[in-house]
Amino acid sequence: MVSMRVWVIVNVSLGFVAILLLLNLFEIRLPSLGKAQYLLDKEEPLCAVQWKEDFNIWNDLDQCCLQARQQFTCDTSVQIFALKRFDKDCHTGQGNVIHYWLNNKAYRYCQQQVIWKG
Amino acid sequence: MTHKNFIQKRWTVHQRVFFFLIIAVLILGTLNTAKARGWLLPELRSWAVTKNVIQLDSLTLEQKIAQMVIVHGGVWNLDAWRNLQVGGIHLFALEKEKLYVDTITQFQQGMTIPFFVSVDLEGCQNPFALFYNSTSASDIFTVEDALMKGERDGAYLNQLGINLNYAPVVDLGDEIWRCRSFPGNEKNVSVLAASYIKGLQGEQVIATAKHYPGKTLVVHDPHKNLVVASIDRSDIYPYSYLFQESNVSAVMVSHLIVSGEVSSEGKPSVVSSSLVGSVKEKFKGLIISDEINMLGLKNFYKTKEEMYIAVFKAGNDLVLDFNEDPNEVYHMISVVSDAVRLGLIPAAQIDLSVRKILTAKGFSVQ
Repeated sequence: MVSMRVWVIVNVSLGFVAILLLLNLFEIRLPSLGKAQYLLDKEEPLCAVQWKEDFNIWNDLDQCCLQARQQFTCDTSVQIFALKRFDKDCHTGQGNVIHYWLNNKAYRYCQQQVIWKG
Repeated sequence: MTHKNFIQKRWTVHQRVFFFLIIAVLILGTLNTAKARGWLLPELRSWAVTKNVIQLDSLTLEQKIAQMVIVHGGVWNLDAWRNLQVGGIHLFALEKEKLYVDTITQFQQGMTIPFFVSVDLEGCQNPFALFYNSTSASDIFTVEDALMKGERDGAYLNQLGINLNYAPVVDLGDEIWRCRSFPGNEKNVSVLAASYIKGLQGEQVIATAKHYPGKTLVVHDPHKNLVVASIDRSDIYPYSYLFQESNVSAVMVSHLIVSGEVSSEGKPSVVSSSLVGSVKEKFKGLIISDEINMLGLKNFYKTKEEMYIAVFKAGNDLVLDFNEDPNEVYHMISVVSDAVRLGLIPAAQIDLSVRKILTAKGFSVQ
């Protein structure tokens, strides 16, 4: 026999899920953990492009997100360039391929964009 | 024991609440899934096509606007994009060749009007890098090599079922990638690009000269989303050359706010009617907007609805909108349709764009 305490926990949890689903259905957006992390992170969002040995900072973050999104994968990998740290390597394959490097702040920003979901 | 007593004994308040919540979660979950997949969107009616001839007047305004939109062709939105009958799908990098073929087949199957299927195989950007090698534009020095590259890339794209490529990049002074544009000055770039276009389009793949009016490959102010660039004669030269000397079928317009040789009158180029209009005077092919979900464009408007109207009003024939939410894409189509009905966008302009699109897809339009 299930105790009353268990029923309360299950029902409260289900109620919470139902509220979230209802809010989502009517597109009432709650601040997400990703957004909170992005806002709390005081680091500057950074994007860089690597082609062969050439490594250059790209200041257009939205376009960078689009190009990174078009790659096959974004791996976690640390690269230091111009005394700045990059944490994600977005690329398609190995060898002579273009790499888009983002730091965590930029990557979180990209993940929140409408082109990134799915 | 009566039936009522039986229910009261078997179902406590907690159990009843549990039952109610489970049903609510299931219904809401289903509705959320249906909405996310675009299953709640209205299905636009079928096209009337007889012997490859389309009567433009037989299309609803929504169908015309939808044909002007290219979306990201994620298979999770397959039903939504097919129902909305959007003009095209753009594909990102996939793991295997077969995945491209399967995805394109799924999208195109049974469509009266096929989708444009586009990719960014340009410069050193290669979505097929896991299984197809393509020489970067910066390593091409002769017109023969440019032609060969165009033919090879075109044959490969055609084989996969891709009919629109956003290449070549003809912007000068590539300071960031150093591999996206052909080498040399504006004249070298133009001649090599024309040769590449000839090769690509010879394989039935539409080429796109981008990004008009130039200066997208240079470093911009890191603290500005609205980027202003000064365009000089050399930036425009490749476009003037290609419009006259090649049969390039499409041109892509950027979001930069430009002044100098070409002016966007303080707006992002893609929403500048005077800038897009001046391209239309010189070029009869397709004018394609750069992807519209960019802060450089969005920040210029108070609402996204204003932005949607501005992008179409400026005269772009095809609008790249890679928003993954089909409901939002449908919202854009509705907003623009209403703007046409209210006279904010000339209906004749929409008709002209749709005519160009359908002709490029191989139809005869009446």
